[in-house]
Amino acid sequence: MIVFDRVTFGYNAKPILNELSFQVDPGEKIAILGGSGEGKTTILKLIVGLIRPDSGRILIEGEDITHKTEEELNDVRRKFSIVFQAGALFDSLTVKENVAFCLREYTKMTEDEIDAKVRELLRLVDLEPAIHLMPAELSGGMHRRVAIARSLAVHKPIMMLYDEATAGLDPVNSDNICNLIVELSSFGMGHMMVTHKVVDALKVADRFLFLEGGTVVFDGGADELLASSHPHIRTFVDELRYQPKVSGKR
Amino acid sequence: MQIRPLISSLQDFYLLSYHGFLGIFRRPFYWKDTLEQMDYAGAGSFFIMALVSLFVGMALSLQLAAELAVLGLKMYIGKVVGITIIREVGPVVAALVFTGRVGAGMASEIGSMMIGNQVDSLRVFGVDPIKKLVTPRLVASLVMLPALTIMGDAISLIGAWYIAAFVSNQSSYVYWSTVRGVLDFQNVFSGAVKPFMFGYLIASISCYMGFTTRGGSTGLRTSTTNAVVMSIIMIIISDFVLTRILLYVLGYKT
Ligand SMILES: Nc1ncnc2c1ncn2[C@@H]1O[C@H](COP(=O)(O)OP(=O)(O)O)[C@@H](O)[C@H]1O
Ligand SMILES: [Mg+2]
Repeated sequence: MIVFDRVTFGYNAKPILNELSFQVDPGEKIAILGGSGEGKTTILKLIVGLIRPDSGRILIEGEDITHKTEEELNDVRRKFSIVFQAGALFDSLTVKENVAFCLREYTKMTEDEIDAKVRELLRLVDLEPAIHLMPAELSGGMHRRVAIARSLAVHKPIMMLYDEATAGLDPVNSDNICNLIVELSSFGMGHMMVTHKVVDALKVADRFLFLEGGTVVFDGGADELLASSHPHIRTFVDELRYQPKVSGKR
Repeated sequence: MQIRPLISSLQDFYLLSYHGFLGIFRRPFYWKDTLEQMDYAGAGSFFIMALVSLFVGMALSLQLAAELAVLGLKMYIGKVVGITIIREVGPVVAALVFTGRVGAGMASEIGSMMIGNQVDSLRVFGVDPIKKLVTPRLVASLVMLPALTIMGDAISLIGAWYIAAFVSNQSSYVYWSTVRGVLDFQNVFSGAVKPFMFGYLIASISCYMGFTTRGGSTGLRTSTTNAVVMSIIMIIISDFVLTRILLYVLGYKT
């Protein structure tokens, strides 16, 4: 469904992605791992056409999106739902207006219908009581969940894209978000989560890409990831098995 | 400064101000955002504009009264103050105040929307950020700065009158009748053209700078500062150019 064909990208001559190639099928549950600044967010932005590759092609359902205009890209963007790092809620609008944003933009629903739809979406992410709050009053985890509800408002996407959906959250909230992501995928949507937290990646995905130096250095399942001998992947994975050095008698 | 980035950013600026303006005539038009911006830019700036204008008018009157008294021309105070305020000082002071209060706000708001991926969200939802963010701010500035300028002019003239009548002991009647004499087509037209130009410049420069914001709070600092500095420079330069053009068009000999 998503094909990256030798994609190269850089900001002002600073290379980020280098001849990156991979392929994702519909319905896949995939996690892209990699250190900060390796270009994980950049990949998601390329998929929805917010930025264009310097060279190479990106195919979405067989269509080359590399040279599409902003208007043509709107059709591509409808196939995805992207939840940005930290949520990206419009901070001048209430939770309700955030979730209702696309409903107001694209449908002719009455006020009552909008209210009902917004409540339904917020129930899905377990946040109905927060409907009248402003984004600034929400915790990090609530922020992400409202963002997820908002991104589901108008259309059913084929694939959800999550940018660091659990970054900066405590383990309980991270776990909540992971459960929500898994729950949503039971509706038949695939998802791609970009993260540097292996624990959370293992919870939501069954295929893993490891990004380093602008290319994919690992592509495989959980067992292979855990058994990988690549030094950086080891560092990521060893976090899971960390044993505190206990001083004194045991 | 490198030439190529400079040219490409000039091109971006041109496209933004052009499409932002065209957005007024193309659907969808975001009424709610526009009204909110008008409220913020206009009603919100009323008090500070009144305060600044009042004191500028009083100071101007005080200065000129002293100077004119030496020449024995104190009865001309209304005429001189009137022309200065309506043609030159009023529009420029209003534009500078507007830059500091509204332009800085526009740049930092759009800038933090850039940093927080909110602008990306708009694009993903199929909403044109230029229409949604720039056009309402452009409209608000084009309507509100001229309105604030007229109001500011009036308050400056009242401030100047207060000083003329109660400090310099001039006749109020003479003051207001000379001021009324100054309110002819040429002067009013000169004063009325400027704020439209300034409003357009302030809104498009500030929005543009907001969109160039990259990387965290220092990026926001840079873009807000750039918005204010560039707006002030452009106001002062375009004021000179406009004055020159207007004097020529209105047939004055310089
Ligand atoms: N708008 C931008 N302009 C210039 N450089 C950028 C921009 N956005 C990101 N970068 C740089 O690109 C690199 C990759 O960014 P990103 O994809 O956000 O990394 P990640 O999400 O993996 O942490 C980083 O080094 C970052 O500094
Ligand atoms: Mg990132």
